[in-house]
Amino acid sequence: MESLAESRERGCHVIGRAWRGMAAHLSSGRVNLTALREAGRRELREFLDKCAGSKAIVWDEYLTGPFGLIAQYSLLKEHEVEKMFTLKAGRLPPADVKNIIFFVRPRLELMDIIAENVLSEDRVRSPLRDFHILFVPRRSLLCEQRLKDQGVLGSFIHREQYSLDLIPFDGDLLSMESESAFKECYLENDQTSLYHAAKGLMTLQALYGTIPQIFGKGDCARHVANMMIRMKREFPGGQNSIFPVFDTLLLLDRNVDLLSPLATQLTYEGLIDEIYGIQNTYVKLPPEKFLPKKQGEGGKDLPTEPKKLQLNSAEELYAEIRDKNFNAVGSVLSKKAKIISAAFEERHHAKTVGEIKQFVSQLPHMQAARSSLANHTSIAELIKDITTSEDFFDNLTVEQEFMSGIDTDKVNNYTEDCIAQKHPLIKILRLVCLQSVCNSGLKQKVLDHYKREILQTYGYEHILTLNNLEKAGLLKLQTSSRNNYPTIRKTMRLWMDDVNEQNPNDISYVYSGYAPLSVRLAQLLARPGWRSIEEVLKILPGPHFEERQQLPTGLQKKRQQGENRITLVFFLGGVTYAEIAALRFLSQMEDGGTEYVIATTKLINGTNWIKSLMEKLEPPPF
Amino acid sequence: SMAPGALLLEAQREYEKESQKADEYLREIKDQNLLSEAVRQCIEAAGYEHEQEVGGSGAASFGKCFLDKFPPESFVRTCRDLRVLNAIWDYQIGIPLTFAQYKQLTIEVLLDRLVLRRLYPLAIRICEYLRLSEFQGVSRILAHWACYKVQQKDKSDEEVAHAINQKLGDTPGISYSEIAARAYDCGRTELAIKLLEYEPRSGEQVPLLLKMKKSQLALNKAIESGDTDLVYTVVLHLKNELNRGTFFMTLQKQPVALSLYRQFCKHQELETLKDLYNQDDDHQELGNFHVHSSYSSEKRIEGRVAALQNAVDEYYKAKNEFAAKATEDQIKLLRMQRRLQDDLDKPYVDYSLHDTVYGLILDGNHKRAEHLYRDFRVPDKRFWWLKIGALAEREDWEEMEKFSKSKKSPIGYLPFVEICMKHHNRHEARKYAARVTPEQRVKAHILVGYVAADAAIEHKNETEMNLVLSKCTAATDSSVAEKINRAKAQSLKK
Repeated sequence: MESLAESRERGCHVIGRAWRGMAAHLSSGRVNLTALREAGRRELREFLDKCAGSKAIVWDEYLTGPFGLIAQYSLLKEHEVEKMFTLKAGRLPPADVKNIIFFVRPRLELMDIIAENVLSEDRVRSPLRDFHILFVPRRSLLCEQRLKDQGVLGSFIHREQYSLDLIPFDGDLLSMESESAFKECYLENDQTSLYHAAKGLMTLQALYGTIPQIFGKGDCARHVANMMIRMKREFPGGQNSIFPVFDTLLLLDRNVDLLSPLATQLTYEGLIDEIYGIQNTYVKLPPEKFLPKKQGEGGKDLPTEPKKLQLNSAEELYAEIRDKNFNAVGSVLSKKAKIISAAFEERHHAKTVGEIKQFVSQLPHMQAARSSLANHTSIAELIKDITTSEDFFDNLTVEQEFMSGIDTDKVNNYTEDCIAQKHPLIKILRLVCLQSVCNSGLKQKVLDHYKREILQTYGYEHILTLNNLEKAGLLKLQTSSRNNYPTIRKTMRLWMDDVNEQNPNDISYVYSGYAPLSVRLAQLLARPGWRSIEEVLKILPGPHFEERQQLPTGLQKKRQQGENRITLVFFLGGVTYAEIAALRFLSQMEDGGTEYVIATTKLINGTNWIKSLMEKLEPPPF
Repeated sequence: SMAPGALLLEAQREYEKESQKADEYLREIKDQNLLSEAVRQCIEAAGYEHEQEVGGSGAASFGKCFLDKFPPESFVRTCRDLRVLNAIWDYQIGIPLTFAQYKQLTIEVLLDRLVLRRLYPLAIRICEYLRLSEFQGVSRILAHWACYKVQQKDKSDEEVAHAINQKLGDTPGISYSEIAARAYDCGRTELAIKLLEYEPRSGEQVPLLLKMKKSQLALNKAIESGDTDLVYTVVLHLKNELNRGTFFMTLQKQPVALSLYRQFCKHQELETLKDLYNQDDDHQELGNFHVHSSYSSEKRIEGRVAALQNAVDEYYKAKNEFAAKATEDQIKLLRMQRRLQDDLDKPYVDYSLHDTVYGLILDGNHKRAEHLYRDFRVPDKRFWWLKIGALAEREDWEEMEKFSKSKKSPIGYLPFVEICMKHHNRHEARKYAARVTPEQRVKAHILVGYVAADAAIEHKNETEMNLVLSKCTAATDSSVAEKINRAKAQSLKK
């Protein structure tokens, strides 16, 4: 399966490898998300066909990853896309095509580049090219005005939008992959991404029926719900006649639970993301561990390119282990190893032609399973090297102390030592913010000490980053003398001492003790309802609310005995893999009664989340 | 005529006369298997009934009774069409279309004619009767009606708007903005605004409001919609329309628009951003602004210092003592770094304080390092970490030992052991291993490669014993492992 980015990198003369029946994993869950992907593909095809003839696409680089989850290069190729370029200033590369299509996010700085591209087009040499723009996810008057000011608006034949809001990542996971959503919402009071989220939810409802119940917590949640209700009125044609698939929508502001993303995730997938970073379901790993077992004489030339793997539930083994606590992964892998080698042993027992034939027919599946096992064994080894290191252990110990409420009110020795040894700044910021959140803010003296230490060690230019963290509430001064966190921790049972990593009985296994607040909110909403935690809800920021969307009587659901409810949990401002794992755990609980589908503005971890809030000030060169 | 239709008509007439001849005629048709053809002919004839009294519909409905599976659609359709024709033939309407003319004209055109004659209620009744989709039927006519209504100058805006909303309500497919546009074209701006109130789609409201120069209202609507692009559009429109003062005042009242405009300025018009903050007396942001420009727009040290000095002033005004002091420190540091750069002919400017001190120690400038450490009140602990790191990198083991003895280490001696080992100097590391506290001894011993078993056993600490065990290799340390295992077993017994 070839990603768009790869095709683009290679200049795209080569057609993608054979198109494999992908996306099967999207239909594996209770809600068949293939329909959403199909709708996206249809819309894309329709647009491409409007621009008749051969085409070249000029990509806003950020879009290639998300687009890859909707359509492979092969789809584009079928619709006469012959070349692909990355959008950059200056003149467009030569391409003997009839149409040049810009795929861009509606951003002013990109419009300037497009204008430059168009204006520097050599009319004599290639007079016949038509220009088009596809805005993702929405057309923008502001951008079109800018193109007009630059004198190029008239050059575009088609200016359309491609509403790629929620992109299906897995059978139960949707993301908008909007990198700056949290920063925009909580720092800059720019709610553009919330508008897109509401639009995405409307698209979802058009395909999967009106969601009868909406719950929410937080200002952004309230805003999204308001927009949804408003948009429903705007829709001409009135009622949606599709039988509702989702029973409930839960909208959650990320700032209701700032703690969870700061803590180190301890599930298998969470750790892969923490250590290597998963992007659009792909991860790049150091290649050394993935060398073929038998090295010939040519074994000297080690691969320098990182090993790139796609991670989703289409891979049976990965689906089984991704959400386990990392400490429970080893035993599964060794069990699998035994089963697979036993299966290969079978060949010695195959005597008749029929038996051999049967064995051979199973070979491809067995080989795939073996290579999958080999990959994950290597990944697990890589991770283990890190999780068994002393520093990982020390860091985790401090995190867990904070989360369980130990010594959160004074300067922490370990944090200080890490600063003194100039550990990565983001690690420090995660620790300090975690402490601040677990103490409902820090005392002036403590806060100032940390800030001073950071500025002196890492440089004064981080003062704006610190200011951003304060604006976002990640770092704050304790205003009241009361620390609310212990109340929240106890009421919501956020800290569990008797955590079982191997056979978990509670969501706290995903952080080996800490139960993510966000997921607890979802759990308690399903049973016994939020009325039981009114007090805590009042402490947490923003309003909590419930809305009902009327359904015509014919569409009201009569649930079968034992049939689970389906709740869509939408995290506004990002969600971590550990939180996703916790929700999946709740889905699988035998007497849970609710299954979850997860949507988010962005898949995050503490590192990329903090990074998105950092202000990059670089001194001028001399 | 002997056509099956004619026979059927005859049969029905006889039937009404209660004559048995009806049965004979029917049989004749049925024997020829022509009954359905007969019914079809009668239905067709019925269409022309008004032109001459034929009685086709009665005959058709009679004949139909003797057929098992005659599809009813054509019969029903003809009956409906006839009722429509009946309605328009009424003397009050007076459109005497023949059936053929009507078919030729199509229902849509007929409706248009009715609309032109302002026969709205009849047109709507017909739409409903024919079950036309709302979009091409009722909604369209209501919209026409409303567009006519807005031209009635004798009624007040209030009345007209109310009347229109009463009739139209939330009928799908109705575009209030189109009606409003019509009202505006007729010079009734106020009415247009009132009508726009009923328009649920903000995207439709805003452009017309802007056209009517109701920008403030347009701004409200844009904000309500949540569509930030729409808000931007109005804001930039306002910016061109109003003078700067009024423009800022307007934004002041709309926090959402103001924050969006700030974002716009951040990327497009930095100077305006400063003006905005100034107007708000937002000293914190002004301070940040100056810090920003000190990095991005000033090249010379003097310029950068000046910008930072502005930031200091703003931070003080914002009562952010910490930021003000930190910025003052930075100014001081920049000046010192420049001096260092001049004196030592090495780049120092723009390194953090930590890196500056580190660099000085690395170059053996201990005096200057010490000076900075005191001047900026670097905490002892951090200075010790920093200094031993730099000394180890310099491999200045002598200086390190001297330093370690200068006073009691605030960070203990384990870091000394670690840093020496990191630089592969086991000999030096062992010196410090002897000085670590008893609690850290096992760890230190392991680091420097001593057999730490004794210390661990002495501590009766199982974790430590396990740690030692994990370091033992079967080949070389079997005796040690055995010793620990024995100690562990013993402590278990107790």
